[in-house]
Amino acid sequence: MAMQGFLLGLSSGAVCSAYCAPVLIPYFLGEKKNVVQNFMALLQFLTGRLLGYLAIGFLAWGIDKSILQSISCREFIMGSAYIILSGLLIFYSFSKSSKTCPPANETGMFQKVRASWPFLFLLIMGLATAVNLCPPFLLAVAIAMGEGTLFQSALFLFMFFLGTSVFMIPVTFVGMLRRFSSLHIIGKMTAGLIGVYYFYSGTIMVIGSIWKT
Amino acid sequence: MKEKHETEKAPPSQQSLVKSFLIALPMMALTLIIMSGGRIPSEPLNLLTLAVTYLFFNIMFFLMIHAGKTDRYRATVFITYSFLFVVSFITHMFEARGSMSLSQEKIILCEVPFCHLVIPMTLIPAAFTKTIIFPGSIIGGYASIASMFVIWIGASLSMGRGWCSWGCFFGGLDDAFSRIRKKPFIKNIDRRWTYMPWAILLAVVLTAAAFLSPTYCSWLCPFKAVTEFEAVTSFKILVQTIIFISLFIALVIVLPILTKRRIQCALFCPFGAMQGMTNKINAFEIRIDSDKCKNCKLCVRECPTLSMTEESLKEGRPLMSCMKCGTCVDACPRNAITFNIRGTPVSGSGNLKRLLFLYTAFLFLAIFSSHMIQDGLSRIIKLITTGSMI
Repeated sequence: MAMQGFLLGLSSGAVCSAYCAPVLIPYFLGEKKNVVQNFMALLQFLTGRLLGYLAIGFLAWGIDKSILQSISCREFIMGSAYIILSGLLIFYSFSKSSKTCPPANETGMFQKVRASWPFLFLLIMGLATAVNLCPPFLLAVAIAMGEGTLFQSALFLFMFFLGTSVFMIPVTFVGMLRRFSSLHIIGKMTAGLIGVYYFYSGTIMVIGSIWKT
Repeated sequence: MKEKHETEKAPPSQQSLVKSFLIALPMMALTLIIMSGGRIPSEPLNLLTLAVTYLFFNIMFFLMIHAGKTDRYRATVFITYSFLFVVSFITHMFEARGSMSLSQEKIILCEVPFCHLVIPMTLIPAAFTKTIIFPGSIIGGYASIASMFVIWIGASLSMGRGWCSWGCFFGGLDDAFSRIRKKPFIKNIDRRWTYMPWAILLAVVLTAAAFLSPTYCSWLCPFKAVTEFEAVTSFKILVQTIIFISLFIALVIVLPILTKRRIQCALFCPFGAMQGMTNKINAFEIRIDSDKCKNCKLCVRECPTLSMTEESLKEGRPLMSCMKCGTCVDACPRNAITFNIRGTPVSGSGNLKRLLFLYTAFLFLAIFSSHMIQDGLSRIIKLITTGSMI
């Protein structure tokens, strides 16, 4: 059964990577890091994504299996995730280089937070991306709920996560372009633009879900 | 002033009347075949529009050769083409649908013409998902897409980003508005803004692939204001409408007037950004002869697309974003900037290289635009004579 989760992840990973690419590619371009550093950053992002998957799985298991079937509930969760993502992307777009400067030199609370915990930044981005509730993930959750125990469900989702994560690895090769300094600016600008798009989509989804209920 | 007179020279490409006529003769023959389609129309209105269009094109080409100047005659044709395209397109919309606006259902059921601006957002998702992301079904289906791709590939190989100054039916609008004021009101534009089209391109491609939705058409395209747009039936469409109208007013009208630059083309258009890459592979380029250049920076000030910088002057060529409009070539007082064929030395045979480029670019412009110009003209004549364009 766990293998089935992995295969489901592999078969739908391209869709998952398309959902994550608007967040990851601008970030990697903006950071000007090499492939290995990007790979480490990807691991941090994926950790957040795994936590998000498991959290949704537990939520559906523990509270109500049909929670994700409700359109308004799903829209509220996704909308909230979009708003969080948009906040992070817009903040990233206006933030200065992520090079490890002493936090004391940074101005503003968010700058300090990000300078101190870049891991947290990627983790939250991964978490918010996982809560996107794309069709393959919803399918995986539905199958996982049919498992006998909570552990088996979590294992199924974990294997699904592994299958989809394979498709994220090529994104790290964006690091090979880091010698083009202009891409740093383009990455940051793109993050801001996508952030605005997410903010609008998220706000509409949240308002719509509240309106429906 | 005295120094200016000493350094200014007549364009070396200036030709006598007879020589200009002889050089323009093949263009006259080619455009006659292209515009008439091999037969002279029997209807007086069609004959009149054909004759006017034919004469207009060939007079402009003749003057380009005779005066040795490129931009002013190119712009005359290019701007006319854009405005008459809008006239022709809107009239067709009213003729076929009774309105420029469309409901969501109609967009899906009706047929929508394929536009080159969506090529970036269709290429990558099509490669990965075999899905053409476009708002609605397309006139001619895949044949229409294929023909637009073939035209685009042909134009890219022959002109590169010259497409944006010689082929794009929208480019002439901000080109026109950028010429209204004699001097710019806003002189300094932060160079970082030139990266914005790349950012928009990346954002559009990524979001189109993620959400399988035509992000650029739905949210950003300013030219919906002068072609077709979705009827306002929801809050979302209202927001989209406010965005595209604001973008049109700001990028195509106000900012070009204030800056004397083609702001939409240079600082916003994602298709233009992608087209810039084709500047690396096509036959023609703009080159700067560093021996002749006295670094007066007139070309930097004049370039409407911000493609000339101090760094590019040192390198002897404009940036990748150059649209080959010819403004810098015409402006240079020492004739240091020329149209060149890739791989050949900058000095020598400048006039022949210019002629080869002009034949390629102008012929493309004639092929692509003449029927739209004829149609636009006939609509205007109809309006004058009958009171209706339809």
